[in-house]
Amino acid sequence: MSAGLNLVLVGAVALFAVGAFALLARRSVIVMLLGTQFMFAAASIAFVAFGRFGLGARNQNAGAAMALFAGATAVAELAVGFGIATLIYRQHRSFVIDADGE
Amino acid sequence: MPLIGALPQPITSAPLVLFIYLVLILMVGSALASVVLRSTLYAVGAFVATMVLVALLYLAIAPFLLFAVQLLVVTTVSAALLIGLLRETTGLVPSTVGPVSREWIVGAAVAAALLALLGVILGATSWPNGLCCSIIVGFGATLTSTYVVGLAVLVVILASAALGTGLLLAGPTRPSGRGGASIRERGPRR
Repeated sequence: MSAGLNLVLVGAVALFAVGAFALLARRSVIVMLLGTQFMFAAASIAFVAFGRFGLGARNQNAGAAMALFAGATAVAELAVGFGIATLIYRQHRSFVIDADGE
Repeated sequence: MPLIGALPQPITSAPLVLFIYLVLILMVGSALASVVLRSTLYAVGAFVATMVLVALLYLAIAPFLLFAVQLLVVTTVSAALLIGLLRETTGLVPSTVGPVSREWIVGAAVAAALLALLGVILGATSWPNGLCCSIIVGFGATLTSTYVVGLAVLVVILASAALGTGLLLAGPTRPSGRGGASIRERGPRR
């Protein structure tokens, strides 16, 4: 029994799929924001896994550095999403966005 | 020198392998829960749990600095932003009114994120004058030498996000009362 690149990548793909599902299937702005965060986290995990186990293992810090940048960018994206979600709530008194509701 | 050397071996320590399996399963499960749950507050709680589990995964396979940043910066700031969003809109506790304005809350959250990021970089790397911890000096040196342009771009991105969020929230549409009409719809002031 061992844990290598394949196992961590499977976990990252599953997390990315959950995020994509939230982004595409849900109508709540907050849940969509959470979905984008999951997709960011999945990409970061893949970077770290390749840095630790894969072809980037000659410089293991490279994957961690990319994950750090992705995490900080995700926080910035969440801050902007916070502002957008607040505006949507002020306009519609709801977090639900719909094609009928503009 | 060959471009690709021998790949590192997978982790074979039984407790660590078990820990990674457990963290991955719980991580995907809590992420799924945060998407499926109908209560927004519970969804945010499951999201925070997912981010903590991602940090634990980093603890197993990545440098310690990444674990610390994920746990102290990304998770904390994300949770603060989401809880702030709920307080600004639907409200965690409807009867509670915050002592400061919403612009100050958002500004403080973004400023805390920037300061935390700066603090981690200052405390963990040899920049600018060697405050480093030996356990993560390699990662810090990589960040401040190989990826110094990336760090600069990151600062620009974070500053732009802070500015954009502030401008969005300071827009002309003012919040209405709980369940009431907006100020613009009430007509001119007398």
